[in-house]
This record gives sequence, structure tokens and C-alpha cells, in this order.
Amino acid sequence: MTAHTIGLRRKFLTDEARLAYLLLTPAVIFLIVFMLYPIIYVLLMSLYQTDKIGRLKEFAGLINYIELFKTKEFWEVTVRSGIWTVIGVVTKTLLGMVIALILNVKYSGRKISRLLFIIPWASSVPISSMLWKWVYDHEFGLLNHSFKSSGIWANPPVWLGEPLPSFISCMWVDIWIGIPFMALIFLAGMQAIGDELYESASMDGVNSFQKFFYITLPGIKHLVLIASLLSALWTFNDFNVIYILTRGGPAGSTDILITSLYKSGFEWLKFSRASVMAIITFIILAVVSVVYAWIYFRQEKEMQ
Amino acid sequence: MTWRNKSKPLVIIITLLLLFVMLFPFFVMISTMIKPGTEIYVTPPRWFPENPTLRNLFAVWKEYNLLTYFESSLIIALGTMALNTLISVPAAYAVSRLRFAGRKFMLYLFLVIQMFSPVIVVISLFKIFAQLRLIDTYTGLILANTVFTISFTIWMLNGYFSSIPKEIEEAARIDGCSRTMTISRIMLPIAAPGLVTAMIYTFIWAWNEFLFALSFIKAQTKIPLTLGMYQFVGRWSTQWEMLTTAAFLALIPVLILFFSIERRLVTGLAGGAVKG
Repeated sequence: MTAHTIGLRRKFLTDEARLAYLLLTPAVIFLIVFMLYPIIYVLLMSLYQTDKIGRLKEFAGLINYIELFKTKEFWEVTVRSGIWTVIGVVTKTLLGMVIALILNVKYSGRKISRLLFIIPWASSVPISSMLWKWVYDHEFGLLNHSFKSSGIWANPPVWLGEPLPSFISCMWVDIWIGIPFMALIFLAGMQAIGDELYESASMDGVNSFQKFFYITLPGIKHLVLIASLLSALWTFNDFNVIYILTRGGPAGSTDILITSLYKSGFEWLKFSRASVMAIITFIILAVVSVVYAWIYFRQEKEMQ
Repeated sequence: MTWRNKSKPLVIIITLLLLFVMLFPFFVMISTMIKPGTEIYVTPPRWFPENPTLRNLFAVWKEYNLLTYFESSLIIALGTMALNTLISVPAAYAVSRLRFAGRKFMLYLFLVIQMFSPVIVVISLFKIFAQLRLIDTYTGLILANTVFTISFTIWMLNGYFSSIPKEIEEAARIDGCSRTMTISRIMLPIAAPGLVTAMIYTFIWAWNEFLFALSFIKAQTKIPLTLGMYQFVGRWSTQWEMLTTAAFLALIPVLILFFSIERRLVTGLAGGAVKG
């Protein structure tokens, strides 16, 4: 090898780059073995007939996909996933905004309020879901009791016993967990807006609502976008709340894609079907998260 | 937004109402926890116990294998935290400080991977773990948890490493520090708050993890807290006074840890958008 070619190779692979690849190797190997390979395996399973323990039998092409698309159940679950995500994110955003606004008012005790509002987010999701299951209890739960005794609602439903109330119950727990994150992010954004803007607005006789719509909201609009996208991904992925509260029941009425796919695999041992759902979920998540990453990096650039 | 003084009482009333809603399950948890068994299953249910007791706090350890569950959760969470740190620190240093082809792609990848649901891969992970004899082992859970936490850690550390001026590192190199020494003596101490935040976050993530435990752990001796408690709820009659007590005990470490990192976590998650 001549000095010239060595010089060329240096240009291709500098010491710095070589070190970088070396340092990245463990993480990359890890992701290939436990993330990429499993995804490829799921893809294969979705294209094959499988037996009861998930071994590949014979190549089926897109038959598994077509069969799944023919079932009414799949479409119900998919639509429910959509409703679940949209209503969830919108409610979290609105309630998060309300809490951020009141936490942004200067009064004594707001530090402690802020701390208390965080608790549902800080708490463990599985444990919170179990606590809610007890709160929702028809006979001994305090929720229905307080509705009845306060006279707000004389005949509240059996929350986890009927389809629609069950779905609403699960949705509320998911929303309740997601609100604090939204509130904190919005609050951080609001606090980054300087007081001077509000002060000069006050001098011009602008009222609180106008301040909100003309100063606060435009000031945090990027944050609202980023936080809602992040929240949409988390909401869509929420497995724990539904699985622990209802396990998708009664009669599949609270199943969303994520829980239905898990049950297809681990409970009904229909691996091909579960894999097809996994691939569809994967595509949905990939699209949304690439959009998220794109917006994120674009904003980073604007900030610089 | 600043509101005029006269609306402050209104704000306080709204705050209290919202707090009541947001903290309701925790109020129920504590109220149930201090009730004797006889006061739980009465209609109408009582807001406060007539004879409050702390007996459940002691009884729960005997009734349930709580100690085993705590032990499992601790081993899994600490293991995940350690493995995660070992893998993430070098990777984060590479993406934040070194120039190489594919750097942007790696950053993009780590951001996107954070969004993937473990449910997508849990079925094939089960098959892989079965072949590697990792079902019913702490190692299996630690590996699975690490996969889903490294990208967040790398991302978080990347932010901290990038904020350290290059000159500091260069000055150290000129003074004769090796690359390893620069990382261990200069970069890590400056990025320490970020590293601690990411480590605690990983610990909490693994402590709260439910799906992998549900799928990979069958042996009663290896069951972590979340799964152990779920099994009580699954039974046909749940002893709620015991479950709420266990919930209280399991939540204490998580809440303390979470509050210690909460502010940095918010900035980490929303990235540059908050700082701007």
C-alpha cells in the first residue's frame, strides 16, 4: 500500500470516525439483536402460516393480511384505537392547558399545587390503574358513592361492567395519567415568555382573554404541537391501563390495536394474526414518529 | 399570564377542585389502607374509617410475598440502570462529540426508536428468549428493559454533552489528557446532572414495567411488584385493604425518585422547545 492510498483511506475513515463507530457498537448490536431482528421476525410470521407455538409453517404471502382485513373485529379495533387516541390527546391538551394557566398565576401555594398535580404522572401506571379499578368498583367504590351521595348523578353506571362505560372509564384513566405532562410542558413554555409583553399589553388595556389568544398561545404553539404528537404516540401505545382495568372486555368492547394484538398472540396463540396486527401498528407508529422527529429537528434548527 | 388580584380566590377554588379530581385515587388509596378489613365491604362505602389502623402496613408483608416482589423489582431496576448506562454513555459521546458519516441518521434513529411500542416485539422477543433460555430470568427482563430505555438515555445525554463547549475538551487534550481521561474527568462530571436524570428515569421505567414481566415471568420467586400486585387484582376477590397498602409502599420510592428529576425530565422530553 502506498502512502497515497493510506492518505485516501484516512480521509474516508478518520481516527475520530473510527472511535465513534467503536463507541456506538454496543448500542447498535443491542438494537439489532433485540429490536431489528424481532421486527423482521414478526414480519416473517405475518407472511407465513404458523403453528400453536409460533413456528413458521408454509409461506402464505399476504393471505394473513387479507384474512384479517375481512374480519369486522379488526376494523372495530382500529377505529377504536383512533377514537381513543384523538379524544385522549385533545382532552389531555385542553385540561393540561387549564392547569398550566392556573399554575402560572402567582399566588402563595402554587409551588405545592404544582407538586401535587404531578403525582398522577409520577405514579406507576400499572399501580394507578389498579387503584382506579377499586375507585370504579360498583358496590364499594367511592366514585359512584360520591356521585350518588352528592346528588350529582343518582344512577351512575356499573363502570367496568358495560361496554360504553368501560371504554369511558379506561379512557379517563389514560387521560388522567397524561394531563400532568401536558400541564408541565405548557407551563414551562409560558414561563419562558417574558413578563414585559404582558405588562405592556396591560398598559394598552388588553384583557386576560386577549392576552391568552394573542400572547400566550402564539408563544407556546410549537410546544403544543410537539407535546401533542408525543402524547398521541404514548396514548396510542397505552397497553397497561386497558389490560389492567378490563383486559379489553367486556366482550372485546375496550380493545384497541395494542391490546388486541397482545391477546391474539399470548392468549389465543394466533401468531400470524398477531404479527399482522403488529406490522400494521409498527407502520402507523413509524409514520407518526418520523413526522415527530422531522418537526422536532426543524424546530431545533429554528432555535439556533 | 398574570391575572388581576380580584380573580385570585377564583383561581384557588379551581385549583382545589382540579386537585381533588387528580388526587382522588390516592385519597382512596390512603383511606382504604388505614381501614380495618371489616370496614371495606360496607354499603354505602365510608370516606374515612371509623377505627383507623396501621395494622395493614405490617400484615401485608405476611399476606403477600411482598418482600420477594420488592427484591425482584430492585434487582431488575438496578440491573437495567447499570446495563443501560454502560451502553449509552459511549454511544451518546459518539453522537454528540465526534464527526462521522451517519451521525445525523443515528440521532434520528434514537429519537424514533423511543416511540416504538414494546408490544410490537414482545411476541418475537418471547421466542428469542425461549431459545436463549432467558424466560423466567432477571437477565431476560433486564435485557428487554434496556432495549427500550437506551435511546432515551442517549438522547438525554446527547443534549448535555452537546452543551459543553468544545474548547474545554480541546484544552484538556492539549494538556496531555487522553480521550478516556477527557471523558471521565471532564465530560461526565459536567454532564452528571443529565446522567443522573437518565439513570433515575431508567430505574423508574424498569420499576414500573409490566408488559415484559407479564409475558416472560411465570416463576413466583421472580415476580416483580407490578405483576405480583396484578395477580391479587386478578383473583376473584381482591383484598383491597392489602392491595392499597402494597400500592402505597411500592409508590414511595418511585415518587421520591421522580420528584428528584422532574424538572430536568420536562426539559429533556420537550428538548430545545422549552428553552426557547
